[in-house]
Amino acid sequence: MNSLSPFTRGWASFVPFIVLLFYCFTPVLTVKHENFKTCDQSGFCKRNRAYADTAEASSNWDSPYNLDPATISLSNGQLTGTVVKTISRTGDSVRLPLTVTFLESGTARVTIDEEKRQKGDIVLRHGSKARKERYNEAERWTITGGLTPNKGAALSSDIQHGATKVHFGPEGKFEAIITHAPFSLDFRRDGTSHILFNSRGLMNVEHWRTKQEAPPEGESSAAEADPAVPPEDESTWWDESFGGNTDSKPRGPESVGLDITFSGYEHVYGIPEHASSMSLKQTRGGDGNYKEPYRMYNSDVFEYELDSPMTLYGAIPFMQAHRKDSTVGVFWLNAAETWVDIVKSRPAVNPLALGVKSTTTTQTHWFSESGLLDVFVFLGPSPQKVVQAYSELTGYSQLPQSFAIGYHQCRWNYVSDEDVMDVARKFDKHNIPFDVLWLDIEYTHEKKYFTFDPMTFPNPQKMTSHLDKHDRKLVAIIDPHIKNVDSYPVVDDLKKKQLAVNNKDGNIYEGWCWPGSSHWVDCFNPAAISWWKGLFKYDKFVGSSPNTFIWNDMNEPSVFNGPETTMPKDNLHHGNWEHRDVHNINGLTFHNATYEALLERKKGEVRRPFVLTRAFSAGSQRVGPMWTGDNQAHWGHLAASIPMTLNNGISGYPFAGADVGGFFGNPSKELLTRWYQAGAFYPFFRAHAHIDTRRREPYVAGSPYTEIMAQALRLRYSLLPAWYTAFREASVAGTPIVRPNFFVHPSDENGFAIDDQLYLGSTGLLAKPVVTEGAESVDIYLGDDETYYDYFDYAIYSGKGYKTVPAPLEKIPLLMQGGHIIPRRDRPRRSSGLMKFDPITLVVVLGKSGDAEGSLYLDDGETFDYQQGAHIHRTFRYEASTGLLTSEDISDRGSKTASYLKSMSHVRVERIVVVGAPSDWKNKESVIISEEGEKESGSRQRSELQFHSGQGGKAAWAVVKDPGLYITKGWKVDFS
Amino acid sequence: MRESILTRLVYTSIIYGGIAFSADAQRPRGVGPEFAKFYKTTDTFACISNPSIILPIASLNDDYCDCPDGSDEPGTSACAHISPLSPPSPVDNTLNNKLALPGFYCKNKGHNPGYVPFTAVNDGVCDYDLCCNGSDEWQGVGGIKCEDKCKEIGKEWRKHDEERKRALGAASKRRAELVKEAGRLRKEMEDRLQSLQTEIQGSEIKVHNLEKEVAEVERAEKGKLVKGPAGGGKLSVLGGLAKQRIEELLKNVDRVKNERDDARRRLAGLEELLTSFKEEYNPNFNDEGVKRAVRAWEDYIAQGKAPDLNNALEQDLEQIMKPDAENGLNWEEFQDADESDVEVLYNFEQYLPKPLREWLNQKLRDLRVFLIENGILANPHSDASESAAVTKAKQSLEAAKSALRREQDELKSHQDDLAKEYGLDDIFRALKGQCISTDSGEYTYELCWLDRTTQKPKKGGANVGMGNFVRVDTVMVDEELPPNGKGLGSGERIALRYENGQFCWNGPNRSTLVVLACAEKDEVWKITEEEKCVYRMEVGTPAACQPQGTAKGVREKDEL
Repeated sequence: MNSLSPFTRGWASFVPFIVLLFYCFTPVLTVKHENFKTCDQSGFCKRNRAYADTAEASSNWDSPYNLDPATISLSNGQLTGTVVKTISRTGDSVRLPLTVTFLESGTARVTIDEEKRQKGDIVLRHGSKARKERYNEAERWTITGGLTPNKGAALSSDIQHGATKVHFGPEGKFEAIITHAPFSLDFRRDGTSHILFNSRGLMNVEHWRTKQEAPPEGESSAAEADPAVPPEDESTWWDESFGGNTDSKPRGPESVGLDITFSGYEHVYGIPEHASSMSLKQTRGGDGNYKEPYRMYNSDVFEYELDSPMTLYGAIPFMQAHRKDSTVGVFWLNAAETWVDIVKSRPAVNPLALGVKSTTTTQTHWFSESGLLDVFVFLGPSPQKVVQAYSELTGYSQLPQSFAIGYHQCRWNYVSDEDVMDVARKFDKHNIPFDVLWLDIEYTHEKKYFTFDPMTFPNPQKMTSHLDKHDRKLVAIIDPHIKNVDSYPVVDDLKKKQLAVNNKDGNIYEGWCWPGSSHWVDCFNPAAISWWKGLFKYDKFVGSSPNTFIWNDMNEPSVFNGPETTMPKDNLHHGNWEHRDVHNINGLTFHNATYEALLERKKGEVRRPFVLTRAFSAGSQRVGPMWTGDNQAHWGHLAASIPMTLNNGISGYPFAGADVGGFFGNPSKELLTRWYQAGAFYPFFRAHAHIDTRRREPYVAGSPYTEIMAQALRLRYSLLPAWYTAFREASVAGTPIVRPNFFVHPSDENGFAIDDQLYLGSTGLLAKPVVTEGAESVDIYLGDDETYYDYFDYAIYSGKGYKTVPAPLEKIPLLMQGGHIIPRRDRPRRSSGLMKFDPITLVVVLGKSGDAEGSLYLDDGETFDYQQGAHIHRTFRYEASTGLLTSEDISDRGSKTASYLKSMSHVRVERIVVVGAPSDWKNKESVIISEEGEKESGSRQRSELQFHSGQGGKAAWAVVKDPGLYITKGWKVDFS
Repeated sequence: MRESILTRLVYTSIIYGGIAFSADAQRPRGVGPEFAKFYKTTDTFACISNPSIILPIASLNDDYCDCPDGSDEPGTSACAHISPLSPPSPVDNTLNNKLALPGFYCKNKGHNPGYVPFTAVNDGVCDYDLCCNGSDEWQGVGGIKCEDKCKEIGKEWRKHDEERKRALGAASKRRAELVKEAGRLRKEMEDRLQSLQTEIQGSEIKVHNLEKEVAEVERAEKGKLVKGPAGGGKLSVLGGLAKQRIEELLKNVDRVKNERDDARRRLAGLEELLTSFKEEYNPNFNDEGVKRAVRAWEDYIAQGKAPDLNNALEQDLEQIMKPDAENGLNWEEFQDADESDVEVLYNFEQYLPKPLREWLNQKLRDLRVFLIENGILANPHSDASESAAVTKAKQSLEAAKSALRREQDELKSHQDDLAKEYGLDDIFRALKGQCISTDSGEYTYELCWLDRTTQKPKKGGANVGMGNFVRVDTVMVDEELPPNGKGLGSGERIALRYENGQFCWNGPNRSTLVVLACAEKDEVWKITEEEKCVYRMEVGTPAACQPQGTAKGVREKDEL
C-alpha cells in the first residue's frame, strides 16, 4: 500500500513528539527536598567537605595525625598504638588510641578512639545526661562472629623507616603498611596496593572541646594561638537547627572522617540504600555526577526520587571495589549519620610506559557524625570472598521459611476479616497461587498494636484458619510507636517499666506517628526486648495464630513531627547513648526484638520467624527480609528496583524486593503486568498498594493481563526449589540470591556496570525484566561465550555482548546459561506449602563443553531441624564424556536426617529435560537407570527417552519420562 | 540393597497399578460418568481432544502427563499445568493448553458428585467442599487421610437445601406479590395519566379562554378615558407604585435570605470539613501545601467563627416577610380606591338608560381606542400600573397557566416514569422509596431502593451519601454460595448502580454497586468498601428472583 506510506512516515516522525509529550505530562510525585538535609545543612558534612577542599587545594597539605612509633606493639594478631593529633592553632595534641586487628578470615580492622572521652574526662553542655564515651556498642548489635584474631599476623622483617609492616591473611599474602607520620595505611595483596587509608590526608577525628564564649570585641583570642592560622569556622559546632527543630549537641563537634582509596579500581558498589545505580557515581559534581555525597541516615522519605544519593530507609556502610579479577571492600562500622563522597581519577598515562594501561582509581571520603572510627578491610580477591568475609562478621542471611519466598499479597488495607478471606477465595477461583496475605495498620483497634479492630476484624481466628487450610500465612504489621492513650495496657506498661526512648532531659519522649501521640519502645534496652517478646504470646496478642507473622515498618524510626521525619538526635536511649550515636541501627534492634519474640510465642513451638523490616543496617540480613519502601506506580520505579535489589544482594542483604505494582498511584495494566514479571525475580516478592489506590490483585485486570501475571507467578512457584537452594547458599556463604553480571563474570570488564539484569543464584538463569512501556524486545548482555537458551522456547544465543531477545507483553526475557542443572516443581498448586511432596523436574542445560551441574536443597521449610541434618542437599552432574547424569549427596547428616528423609521418600524425579541434547541421541529411545547401592546387574532399568530436534535456531531437547527415581536417593542415568 | 528397588516397585505398583481404577470398577480413577465412553478400551488409550495420540493403557493414571489435553491423567495432578495460566514450555505439548476434563471426579456417595480441580488433587488438603468423600487425596501425601464425610455433609446440605428451596418458594411468591403491586402502581399511574390528559385538555381550553378575556379586558381598559394616571387619584398611583416596589423588595429580601442561609449552611459544612481535615490529615505526608492550609485554618479559627444568628433580628425579619395583610396593610384599599374627582364627572352615564349608557360607553371607548391606536391620544396606561381588572384577569390566566404546567409536568414525569427501566416485570416499582439497612463495623448502611445509599455512623456524626440511583444493570458474579443461601453465587445478577455520592477526600465521589440475589426478604447481606469510597452491597430481595415458571427459578448448587 504505497499510498499509505507518506502518512505512515509522517506519523512515525510524530511519535517521538508524542512520547516527549507523554514524559512531560506523566505526573511523577517528587520528594520534599526541604524536609531533608543537604550536606551543607548538616554541620559535620559541611565541615568534612570543607576540610577535604582545604586539603585538596593545598599543595603541601600535612595531615595532623601521627602514629607515635614508641607506642606500637603487636601481639596475638592485634597491633596497638597511639595516634596523636596536633592542633595547629594551639599546638595542643589529642591522643587517639589505635587498634589494628588482623582476623583469621584475612580481614583487617582499624579502630580509632579518643582517650579523653574513653576516660570520661570531658564536660557535657546543657547538663546533659548523655554518655561521655564515643559510641562503642555498634559492634554489639552488628557483629556476630569472625572476630578471632589471626595470631599468625607478624611484623615484617623488611622494616622501612617510619613505617610498620604486618603480614597477615591466608598464607600471609596480605600486608598492611602503616606509615607513622602522617599516619596512613596501605593494604596490599600480592605485593600490590589495593586500599589506602588517609593517603589524601582527609582523616579527621573531631576531638572534644569546650565551647569558648566569643571574646570581647578588640581583644585577641587565646594568647597561645598561632596568629598565622586562621580561626576555625565554629558556626556548625554547637546547637544546630533544621526545619524548626534544634539539636542541642551537648558534646559539640565529634565527627570522624577518613579518605579510603581503592587503587586501580574503577567501580565501587554497595552502601545501600539509595535509589541509584549499583556502580556508584561520583559525588563532587561534573557531568552526570552527583553534587551531594551518598548519605546514610535511615529516613522515612516520602515519595523518594530516583537517581539520587539521598538517604533512604536503610544503611549498610559496606562498599566493595571491583576490577578485572579482583574485588576488595571496606565496612565502616558506625551507626551515626554517615556520608560518602566519591571521586574517580585517571592518572595521565606515561607514553613511555609501554603496555601499562591507564587505570582509574576510586577515591572515597567517609564521615560520620559521632562514634568511633572503625573500619574493616577485605582484600578478596573475588566478589564471593569479600561478601563472605563481610557476612562472617555481620551474619549470614536468614534461611527463611519456605512460604517466605512464595508470593505475598499486601494492600493498605484489606479492610476486614471477611475481605481477607474473600481475597483468598478469589485467588483460588482464578487458580493463582499465593502464600501470604498481609494486613497494614488499619486492622488494629485505633492504631493500637497487638489489637484487632473489633468492628472490622471480629473473628481473626476464623480468618487465619481459613488461610491455614491451604497452608497460607497472615502477616500483620507491628510498628515501634506505641499509642499514647489511656487504658491501653501496652503503653501503660511501657511507661511504668520505663522501656521507651527518652528525650534529652531524660523524660519519656513523645512524638507523632500513625496513632497520633506516641512513645517509642527502646530495643537497645535488654529489659525492653524481654518485655517486647512477651507481647507476642498468643494469649497477649489476641487474634494472632501460629500462621501469623510480623511486619515491622516505620522503624527508622519514623516520627512525623520530628526533624527529618525522625527522632531528635539528642534523644537518649538505654545506657544514655544519644540517638545520634545509634540512629542507623535503631531499626535493626527493633527488627531483632520482634524476631526473638516470634521464637518464643509458645513453649515448644520453634519455627523460623518471619519479620519484614523497612529500616535496616548491617546485620539485618540475619533477621528477615527488607523491601525498598514506598515506591511509586511508575516505570522509573520499576526500573530502579533492579539495581536496588542487586546492590542489596552484593551487600550481604539479599532477601530484598520492591513493592510490586508501585505503592503510590495506580499502575496501568501493562505496568502492573511487567512488574509481576520483574517481581517473580525479586528474592522478596510482594505486591503492595496505597490506601488511595484502586484494587489491583492479579485477578482484577482481566484478560490477557491476569493470565500473564498468573504465568509469572506460576513460573516463580515452579522455580521455588531453585530459589530455595539459592537462599540456602546465601545462608551459609553470604552470596547474593540474585546476582549482577560482575559477580558471575568477574573478568568481563564490559559488564561491570550492568545492573538491569540478574542471575538467579547458581542456576545460570539470567533474567532481564522489561522496565519500559511498549517494549517488544530487550537486549540482554551475555558476559561470556557460553551457550544460552531461551527458557521458554530453547532459542539459542551465544557470543559475548548484547543479544536481542523478543519480549512481547506475555514474555519474560529469561535465558538459561549452558552448563547448569535447574530443579523445578511443575505442578501448579494453591500455595508453596502444598507443593512440598510434589515431584521434581530436572532441567539439564548442556553448555559448550557438554557438561552440566546443579544442586538442590530442600528441608521442612519451617523449623530449625535442618541444622540437625533434616535436609536434602544433592549435586546433580552430567558429564558428556561418560554420558552419565548422577545425583550425589552433599548434605550434612545429623540426628534428624533419617526421619526427614523418610518423610520425603516418595518424592520423585518426575522427568529429566535435557536442553541442547546432542544430535546423536536422535535414535535413542531409552536411557539406563540405576539406583545407588544396587548391584549393576540387578538394578538396571530402562526408561523412555524422547528426542526432539531443534528447529529454527532453537536447541534440540530430550525428555526422560518418569525415570522412577527418588530425590532422597543417589542414582545414575546413563545416556550413553 | 535390592530392597529399595523392590520397595519402589511395590509402591509404584500399588499406586499406579493396583488402584489405578477406583472402587467403581467401570471407570478409571477421577473419570466422571459423562466421560466414561472415552475410557472403555482396555489395551490402549486415545487422548480425548487429540485422538491421534494413542498411548498404552499403562500410561493411564501413571502420574505422568502424556496427553496434550491431560486426559490420560484423570485421577492425578500430573497434567494440572495444562492451562493458559502456566508459563509456556516446549516440553508440555502446548497444542491445546486446555484440559479435556473438568477436573477430578468425586462420586460423593450420599451427597452430590463434584469435580475437584486437578491442581488440588493429592496436595495434602481435603477439599471437602467439592469432594466430600475425600477421594481427591488418595495418595495420602505427607500422611494426610481424608475420611469420607459425605454422609454428614450431604445431610447438612439437604437440610440447607430444603430450607433454601422453601425460602426460594416463598421468595417466588413474594415476588409475584411484588409484581402484582408493581402492576397496580403502574395501573394507577396509567389511570392518572388518562385523567391528567383530560384535565390538561380542560386546562388548555381554560387558558385559551382566559387569554382571550385578558385581551378583552385590556382592550376595554384602554378605552377608559379617564382611568389611568392622568385621571387616577395620586394616592392610588402611589399605592400601586409602593406595592410594586415593596413586592420587589420583599422578593429580593427573601432571595437574599435564602442565599444567606445557603451560604451559612455551606460555611458550616466547610468549617466542619476543615475541622476534620485538621484532625485527620496525615502530617507524615509532609505536604507544605497541606500544612499551609492547616495553619491558615488555625488562624481563621483564632479569629472566631461566624456569629450565630440573632434570634430577635431573625424574628423581625420573618415578621417583615409575612404577607402585607398580616402587617395591617391592605393594598386593595388603596388601589381599588380609584375613584378620582375627575372620574366622578364621568359618572353621568349612570344617569342614562342602561342600553344607551352601554352604547355610549362602548362608542366612547371605541373612539378612545381608535385614537390611541392611531397615535392621536396618549396611552394612559403606558407608564402606569394596570388597573385592577386587568391584574385580576392576568392573575386568573397565570393561575390557569401554572395549573396547566403542573399538569403537564406531572404528565411528563409519569410518562418518563412509565418508560423508565424498573427491571423485569417492572418489579422495582413496588420497592421504590422503601429502605433497608444493616450494621457493619462502625456504621449502619442504608439502601433506599432506586433512591440513594447512605452510610450512618453509629457513634454519631453526619450521614454520608454513598451514591444516588442511576440505573439498573447486570453484572457477572462468581462466588461461593454459603450454606444458608445468603450469597450471590455464580452467574449474571441484577445490579443497581448508585453514583455521585459525597466527595471523598483524596478520592472519587462515593459510589455503590448494589448486587442483588434472590431471597425471601429484603436484606443487606454484605457491604464492602472495595477501594477507597467505592462500595459494593450484596443484597437479597425477592425482586431479584427469576419469574415463576422459568428454568432458573431455583439456583442450582454450584458444583453441579
